[in-house]
Amino acid sequence: MDAEAAKLLGAGLAAGLGVIGPGAGMGILIGSTIQSTARQPEMAGELRTTMFIGIGLIEALALYALIIALILLFVI
Amino acid sequence: MKKGCLIWLVVVIAIVVALGFAPGGEPQEFHVASEFELEPIVQLPSIGPVDLSINKAVIYLWISVGVIAIGSLILNRSLKNPTGRLFGAFAGLYDLARLGIVNSVMRKGQDTWFPYIASVFFFILVCNFVGLVPLPFGHHHQLAFYSATANLFVTLSLASCTFVLTHYAGIRAKGVGGYVKGWIVPAAPPVLKQMLFFLEILSEIFRLISLAVRLFANMLAGHVFFAVFFTLAVLFQSYLLASVLQGASVIMYLFEVFVAFIQAFIFAILSAIYIGGAMQESH
Repeated sequence: MDAEAAKLLGAGLAAGLGVIGPGAGMGILIGSTIQSTARQPEMAGELRTTMFIGIGLIEALALYALIIALILLFVI
Repeated sequence: MKKGCLIWLVVVIAIVVALGFAPGGEPQEFHVASEFELEPIVQLPSIGPVDLSINKAVIYLWISVGVIAIGSLILNRSLKNPTGRLFGAFAGLYDLARLGIVNSVMRKGQDTWFPYIASVFFFILVCNFVGLVPLPFGHHHQLAFYSATANLFVTLSLASCTFVLTHYAGIRAKGVGGYVKGWIVPAAPPVLKQMLFFLEILSEIFRLISLAVRLFANMLAGHVFFAVFFTLAVLFQSYLLASVLQGASVIMYLFEVFVAFIQAFIFAILSAIYIGGAMQESH
């Protein structure tokens, strides 16, 4: 397998497999936020703010994988 | 449903179906990555390793500064009318910065650090929103999307400000010895203590990198999504798919507006958490 094909394969695998974990994590986070809001609707504002912080942190991990894929495609 | 509504729906569906049979356009070349290459517009001499020539990114930073300056002057004039809409919008953002970000996360240094956190929040917000407006900086002066925060060096500078100020706040509150001692977990066996101390230092460095890369990657991915969706709309040379993909592009654009706001908010609130965490007693 030559370098070009390996680069393309690596980029595809990085971007694809790298979003499995963050996707599952975000599902758990948002699901537990919905459950907590259903239990105590008066705390909905605070819970929503914390949820957005969590989403930002988790989405960063998915985007690390995308950055690796872009580095493989365009820089190396 | 009213009869006028139904007639409009039938007409729109008929047009969309008829578009499927129209002959497509001509093939054109488009490179996604070429939007992110920076060529100097005005070549200035470089001082050592720092190249001072004026880039697309430099001009976008100046545009953000100009928007903030002119916006501040306009808002200053609106302070005389405390019930207007402009004042209400700005008061909402100020309350978000003050109550939502600083007061809800930091325990001790709220008044000291509010100017820095609010400045970072508003600067990144304006930079991200300016990046959603197409400006003529593309090839041959075409309209193109680019934002100053889609550049790793800009976000690294902003994250370095937060990094330096975190340690400055910690040292000012607890002294150098006390601050470094705060990184040592007292209730651990000695070998584990050294490893945990090393891990704390590593996590400080990783916070800097992750702040910078989070903002950079979100903005970069957003602009790449734009480029890809708009390219998809013209790639298939079919008017039917182009009209459907144009609608999808508009939805992606709305999502990018949301992401721009969220990323500014997250950068500011993480800065507040780090600075507040450095100042308070831990472990």
